[in-house]
Amino acid sequence: MEFLGAVFAWFTDPASWSGRNTIPLRLWEQVSLSAVSLALAVAIALPLGLYIGHTDRGSRLVVAIANIGRAVPSLGWLGIALPITLVLFQRGGLGFLPACIALVALGIPPIVTNTYAGLREVSRDLLDAGRGMGMAELQLLRRVEVPIALPVIMAGVRSSAVTIVATATLAAVVGGGTLGDFILQGLFVNDQPRIFGAAVLVALLALATEMVFGYLQRRVVSPGLGTG
Amino acid sequence: MRTRRTLALGAVLLALVISACTPGGGSTTPSASPAAQKPEVTVGSAGFDESAVVAEIYAQALEAHGYTVKRQLEIGERPDVQAALTSGRVNLVPEYLGGLASYLKADVSSDAKATFDAMQVKLAAEDLIAFDYSPGTDADGWAVRKETADQLNLKAMSDVAKVADQLVWGLAPGCPTNPVCGPGLKSTYGIDISKLQVESLSPCSTEMAQALNNSAIDVAQVCTTQPDIQRFNFVLLEDDKALQPAQNLAPVARKDLADAAPADFAETLNAVSAKLTTDELTKLNVEVSVNQTSFANAASQWLKDQGLI
Repeated sequence: MEFLGAVFAWFTDPASWSGRNTIPLRLWEQVSLSAVSLALAVAIALPLGLYIGHTDRGSRLVVAIANIGRAVPSLGWLGIALPITLVLFQRGGLGFLPACIALVALGIPPIVTNTYAGLREVSRDLLDAGRGMGMAELQLLRRVEVPIALPVIMAGVRSSAVTIVATATLAAVVGGGTLGDFILQGLFVNDQPRIFGAAVLVALLALATEMVFGYLQRRVVSPGLGTG
Repeated sequence: MRTRRTLALGAVLLALVISACTPGGGSTTPSASPAAQKPEVTVGSAGFDESAVVAEIYAQALEAHGYTVKRQLEIGERPDVQAALTSGRVNLVPEYLGGLASYLKADVSSDAKATFDAMQVKLAAEDLIAFDYSPGTDADGWAVRKETADQLNLKAMSDVAKVADQLVWGLAPGCPTNPVCGPGLKSTYGIDISKLQVESLSPCSTEMAQALNNSAIDVAQVCTTQPDIQRFNFVLLEDDKALQPAQNLAPVARKDLADAAPADFAETLNAVSAKLTTDELTKLNVEVSVNQTSFANAASQWLKDQGLI
């Protein structure tokens, strides 16, 4: 109880809300880093997934490469990205940039694999019917495959988003701030309530992300596929 | 008949293997005094490389003087190590003055002697005793690149205080509220970190060292025995106004072991500690953390180099 009181005291401490080291600032760092990383991951992974899903060309290779992102641990990605960004940008190579690279690498695999799987699941009969009606390949993709596969694709985006939001915490190690900064602070000054408080915030943020994307995933089910 | 002969052969082979695998092989011990009079030592260590390799060094030094030494290295954090020591699961561990003193709620300062004495009093209450502390210390410190040090003629924290605002500082998250970091830098050296260009990075980490090496920052918060200091040829700035608490190493033993052991027990430990300078500790860290040498090999090589065995 005493410990929870200390956590509560950290949340309500005015120093946590004004100055250079506030909860809103760290939260914003975490959310903005995650949002940019997710956008980039989608921008890279979605076209790739659509291409290999539609053509089934090079799919094994692409899926295998995308899964490297899963095989390398998140701290490992930071360790790979940081030396490169530092050499290229010196001080600019700290913080946001290496963290973003690591998170994009981490966010790509679920989107690529789900997009691919979603498209492959579309019935071949439907595609043949579309072709028979004179649809071009791009039309087919846009008007038949994607609408049917969208819930599966969105599930990939959701899993990617949750991973990114939770892992963005690590950016603190390379100077990226985020809620992870509170965790490092707590370790450095031996302040357990601060570590716990920050961890709770990260967990809540990940849960909120899960709920938002879960809602989106249900909303994108094509009316033609709806149960009702 | 056949089975019995096979069994006998197996037993002989097994005995051979066991004797070959046992360190020392049951042959003569180098020391003149019989091992029977010497108490058995079980050395423990905290769960990080430096603590483990130093524990291994004490262990091998004692073995060279005829002690039978068991090892329980990398037990965990300080509370776990202390529990192992007070329960008798181990009876000798290397410790850090400031770290242990503050754990025992004794007064901690940058004065090693005073911190040691305060710690010794608290240890006695738990039937423990510390032996001489090392000249080397594993404390928080600040390092700069060699060329920055040459260019601006930086040797100590007082020097860097004069040019602090021209440099980018890599500081630990939490530095602003840590008494021996932000507030301490201000009161001791007049360095006001709120007016500096600061990057917030994990202290004593490889990331911090890489940032310094690539000129992303100019002053890095490090641990004084961090291997990166030698790897990247950084200059460790002297804490000339003694801001940091003393973190010299000292072996801590159970009183019952210290009382049962002859005089060469303390002499052996003290001879080792005397040679553990900050530089030597850093080298040992490079050996085990960077070069991945085993604790046992790194320890025996170091003891030979120092002429201790």
